[in-house]
Amino acid sequence: MAKRREKKSKVLKTKKDRAVVAVRSEQEVAPMPKQAEETVKPFDIKEQNVMDKKEFRFPHGYGDNRIIILIRDPWWIFSYWEVRRDKEEEILRKIESAGDQKQKSVLRVYDVTDVHFNGRNAHTYFDIDLAGLANSWYINVGKPDRAWIVDIGIVTKKGDFYLLARSNVVKTPRFGMSDQLDAEWMMPEEEYWKMFSLSGGFGLGKGSVEVREMVKRQLEEQISSGALSSGASVFKARAERKFWLVVNCELIVYGATEPDAKVSMQGKPMQLRPDGTFSMRFALPDGMQAIPVEATSNDGIDTRRITPIVTRKTE
Amino acid sequence: MAKGYLAIVLHAHLPFVRHPEFTDFLEEDWLFEAITETYIPLIKMLQGLERDKIEYKLTISLSPTLMTMLMDGHLQSKYIRHLEKLIELSEKEIDRTKWEHQFNALAHMYHTMFVDARRIFVEEYGRNLVNAFKHFQETGNLEVITCCATHGYLPLMETERTASVRGQVKTATDMYQKVFGRKTPGIWLPECGYVPGDEAALKREGVKYFLVDSHGILFGTPRPRFGVFSGYLTKSGVAVYGRDIESSKSVWSAVEGYPGDYNYREFYRDIGFDLDYNYIRPYINADGVRINTGVKYYKITGITNHKEPYNPDQARDTAASHAANFMFNREKQVEHLIGSMGGRKPIIIAPYDAELYGHWWYEGPMWLDFLIRKIRYDQDTIALTTPGEYMKMYKSYQVLQPAFSSWGYKGYSEFWLEGSNDWIYRHLHKMVERMVEAANTNRHAKGLVLRALNQMARELLLAQSSDWAFIIKTGSHSSYAIKRFRGHAENFTSLYDDIKSGSPDEEYLKRLEGKNNIFPDVDYTVYCT
Repeated sequence: MAKRREKKSKVLKTKKDRAVVAVRSEQEVAPMPKQAEETVKPFDIKEQNVMDKKEFRFPHGYGDNRIIILIRDPWWIFSYWEVRRDKEEEILRKIESAGDQKQKSVLRVYDVTDVHFNGRNAHTYFDIDLAGLANSWYINVGKPDRAWIVDIGIVTKKGDFYLLARSNVVKTPRFGMSDQLDAEWMMPEEEYWKMFSLSGGFGLGKGSVEVREMVKRQLEEQISSGALSSGASVFKARAERKFWLVVNCELIVYGATEPDAKVSMQGKPMQLRPDGTFSMRFALPDGMQAIPVEATSNDGIDTRRITPIVTRKTE
Repeated sequence: MAKGYLAIVLHAHLPFVRHPEFTDFLEEDWLFEAITETYIPLIKMLQGLERDKIEYKLTISLSPTLMTMLMDGHLQSKYIRHLEKLIELSEKEIDRTKWEHQFNALAHMYHTMFVDARRIFVEEYGRNLVNAFKHFQETGNLEVITCCATHGYLPLMETERTASVRGQVKTATDMYQKVFGRKTPGIWLPECGYVPGDEAALKREGVKYFLVDSHGILFGTPRPRFGVFSGYLTKSGVAVYGRDIESSKSVWSAVEGYPGDYNYREFYRDIGFDLDYNYIRPYINADGVRINTGVKYYKITGITNHKEPYNPDQARDTAASHAANFMFNREKQVEHLIGSMGGRKPIIIAPYDAELYGHWWYEGPMWLDFLIRKIRYDQDTIALTTPGEYMKMYKSYQVLQPAFSSWGYKGYSEFWLEGSNDWIYRHLHKMVERMVEAANTNRHAKGLVLRALNQMARELLLAQSSDWAFIIKTGSHSSYAIKRFRGHAENFTSLYDDIKSGSPDEEYLKRLEGKNNIFPDVDYTVYCT
């Protein structure tokens, strides 16, 4: 089984469309949760050329010059981009004509919370140096409930930043109870915490920091469809199998007579095949089994009876 | 008079898998297994409640992909064939286990179950199980709601977000209207994935409520007065509910949850894997790969590879006591809450994947049956309700902006956005941009172009199924998921190119319309901006 899976993933890696998968540096990538135990054996479907007009491959690019960012969770965003060669060359010429040189490609991550961003008015920003072939990146912004924009650009030797593309704005999810109170639905602070605690199934008497931690822990545990959706996942991990052996016995009793005869086995009428043969298959437990087989001719005159006796003993 | 309410919500969904080009297709079994093991057992339970004239309230969301498959003639015929084989297998098993009485009784149990399934499927509902849900909705006990068109995970639809979300929502609500002849009362957001602002698309289609995970409410703004124990109104007027953790855990959790009880049936011991290859060969996959048949003879027994034979009576007693325990805990929960609710009655929202019941947790439908009956007769602290009903109870509800959230792994988008599957989004995003562009430039399309645009919308929607990213992540069946995603992208792109060049290829279009025939009434103008 393990061998088989290994083979499969190899196949995937050689697929051409996998080339679009980003190259990333290890430390920037969020730890990958363990792969769920495979419950169904891998099965490659046959190629379905029926519908294929021509061989289809995902393009390496769409001729765009852009960067898109997505929210992964309150602390991480995902970015992917495509920079057109002509755009990059144009910028490089600009850098050169300013008597400067490219030092590196970076992602510049801006905190633009409540700001109409113009390139210079972010609260803070930080840079991520890009490795050569990357076309996507997981960015640890580390702050829930803030708005973000990411530029991809070039930092020069002199330390100037030249923009290649600017992303959409996203806001990381808020994590924790809101400070905004609703005048119409006010109650004492501790009452809010009580409701909050009860809602999280934490019991009573928990403070804000404690509850926040508990919520986080709870979310990190997998009490979620992530583990339990149908079709693709596991309900619980299969018990670890080390070395094992299973032995079972089955008994096949078979025979033949005139095709129009009536046959019974252990008193149960048997269906004969057109050529007069018959067979029965039994799971054979330990102990003795007598299996009387009786055949009666179609006219009811002749009867034959044969009784195999079988003993199984497992040691 | 009840002091508080419990709303059980079952979410039934399977991705659209239909391969008329193959007589036997592994992934189609997902539907067949779910029909035999989950949908029919739930329907049997509802029939029993109706027969015994027991009033109840239960909410079920049926995803449009699942509804489409349940109503599809080709899959219906294939299901019957699948079921015939199971009946044949269970007959053989009755003979084979003749000398082992515990297994023999179980073989009879499965045989009865399969024969019943055939009767219910063929005779009682004319092969179309949606008719069953429609019927129970009409009795006023069941509230059927929709889900997004293809279970697209909304939080990752970043480009052309409004059109993207509208396409998923409107295609679903239109289909619901057509099938049930009324508007959907609520919607199940796929994976409870919610982004502030998405309720506008729900409002536009007249959807009254949706559900989020607990932290969607708890981290909402302003502070939620009632925790997850009330409905809230978003500014758009659409109501929102949050999942209760305590009741979720007792069923969901593999560790603390009921389904792990040692008396319950062991999912992982299936005769498809256990029996002699030559014997079981005709009943496993056509390629000869062993698969689950649904016939399982053992109970969980313990954390051990040694399994004892399943004992249905013992399992049934356990399910009854678990139902009693669940009810007792909800009563306690309500009593605990009542003083903090400012005179309101709390509602406990308990959502589950429907396929957990029966398929994974074999005794699940039985447990639910016991629970519903017990709540009706054995106490009066809690009563069952639906999210739709609860919103009619009070004149006002707190207005709340729920927080971005999902019920997936770690509460956000990580399961659908990580190293194995993140590459799909650049293509998905491009597709929806192209869809919008094509729709905008052909606002009043006719004839072939109209058909091509509608098929583009179908292919886009199918590519958007959250299932592909999910399956790619989990690893099993991932080659199938990648193929499907690529296939829909390919079909979409070919149609897009054809429309741009002004000459859709009718033969090709016809083949696609025949193969990916979901949403016959899809309207591409949903993507006009």
